Amino acid sequence: MTAGHPWDGHWKARLYERVRERGYESLTAFAEAHPTASLVKLAAELGEGEIAGVQVFSGLVAEAERSKQLTRLVRGQLVRELAECLPSGWPRVLDDANRFKVAKALGLWTGFTPETHKERVRRVGDALLANPPPAGWRPLSPDDELLQTLLPDEEA
Amino acid sequence: MKGSLRSVEVAFTQLATRPPDLWGFSLTGVFTRYLDQGSKQVTWLQGALGSATALTKVASEVGDTDMELGLLRMTGPKLQAAQFGTLLLATWVDFLHLADAVLRHCSMCSAEKLFVDLHRVQGLMEPTLTDLASLDPERVEAATTAMPELMGKLTREFDTLQRETRETLKLSGQVIAAMQAVEMVAMISTMKRALPRVPPSAPVTLGVGLVMSSGGVMVGSRLVVSAEWVERMRRLVQAGVISVPAVGAAVLIHGGQVTMAQAHQDLPKGVRDALGDSPEVRGMQVTGRAGAGMSDAPKHHVLPQEHREWFERRGFKGDMDIDNFCVRMEQAHHEAIHGGGNWKRGRTWPGEWNRMIMEVLHDAETKAGRMLTRNEILDIVAVTMERYYIPMIFVLGRSR
Repeated sequence: MTAGHPWDGHWKARLYERVRERGYESLTAFAEAHPTASLVKLAAELGEGEIAGVQVFSGLVAEAERSKQLTRLVRGQLVRELAECLPSGWPRVLDDANRFKVAKALGLWTGFTPETHKERVRRVGDALLANPPPAGWRPLSPDDELLQTLLPDEEA
Repeated sequence: MKGSLRSVEVAFTQLATRPPDLWGFSLTGVFTRYLDQGSKQVTWLQGALGSATALTKVASEVGDTDMELGLLRMTGPKLQAAQFGTLLLATWVDFLHLADAVLRHCSMCSAEKLFVDLHRVQGLMEPTLTDLASLDPERVEAATTAMPELMGKLTREFDTLQRETRETLKLSGQVIAAMQAVEMVAMISTMKRALPRVPPSAPVTLGVGLVMSSGGVMVGSRLVVSAEWVERMRRLVQAGVISVPAVGAAVLIHGGQVTMAQAHQDLPKGVRDALGDSPEVRGMQVTGRAGAGMSDAPKHHVLPQEHREWFERRGFKGDMDIDNFCVRMEQAHHEAIHGGGNWKRGRTWPGEWNRMIMEVLHDAETKAGRMLTRNEILDIVAVTMERYYIPMIFVLGRSR
């Protein structure tokens, strides 16, 4: 099934078809294999021009809800936002330009967090600004130690 | 890219400032209204150029490459409108000069008939000028495509008026000086410069005599388009700043192909090739129009209208008003996007566009500890548009 546009036809079926074609059992497994890739990169990897980043995210949320791994997904999303906005890690100096980059990452993170976790995400953002992580901090997966401390799993 | 855009701008600016210098002749009395018509147009032309320059500046400041292109694309219609508006205006100045010469030197000529003639010419130009002045990308595009035909009509009107005057002068045996005054106007006319000759009544095959040489595209022995010009246009077309039809209209007008343009809007193949009208450029055109039939697809505000004031306070005013940031989207796509993909468990993640974008912007502002700037907002919006696969091709929308 090919499409001319990500929003054409049965995109959910298309999404899973592409995931299986690439040898993954779930979208989550595919995404975790590329932990720092942006949603747009993940979508392009699955099908350039056929799948949108937000569709990938939507699918990830649905899977995480079923497997009770939402908190892990939320941590994973911050990893992606930070990799996109602060590719060389947490800034040494939080001047105006760097503060915006951090704010952009955290703002996007809230927007791409399920309703149930938004408040926790906002608090984590405030905590990161109040007690900044070491300069150059660049979490590479949802298993990052500092991230786990800030946003521990609850479901387990 | 930016350099060539700037040089186009400079050319337009020079063009735009030229008409007022030509108001040397004075037309008074009932003809004043025709003068006013010209001056009014100069105002919007200067406005269009000003806002194109402002947008180019913003585009160079925005970090996101796609957003930069999206903003540059917004300048295209303004530049196109200014280019063709200036050409029309220069043509109008020619008519006024001719009228002035007629009024001053041809006592036998009827001022009433001249008034009516000018009124008709004005009527010919008015709809196109209105479309151009609207600066609405789609109306400008339509007006641009119709320009060669209009220029053909205007050229014939000018020729007729000049011939009639000449005959009247002959009839009344007026002095040579009067004849010369009328001829002079024709000599310095814009149309004379733009159009090498009055189009012959016998049809000419489009593209005859058009040959590609290393120096550019030639019409017969007359160099119409320089290699540099082609290169500049090619880059602008590839970037989606201006459209192939617009370049086509310019070439057709300057190549004196106006008569044929009524039947063919297509450029000779040589010119198309030179412009790089390859499948990829054409493909880009299609994307620019967002596919066949998309020009009818409904427009949607990217920056939610119910938060207009919030955006205004952050610099989205005038040319950067949120109405300028609309996108065309097919109904089905639009619904899917507003539903955030309508994933069954959507309740846990609404993802509805308006709510999502405002949430991201509000949260970013809280975390930044200050108001976001306009460019910072565009930077964030660009990221989210990309995630939703919304192309950064902005059209002018209407406010509710």
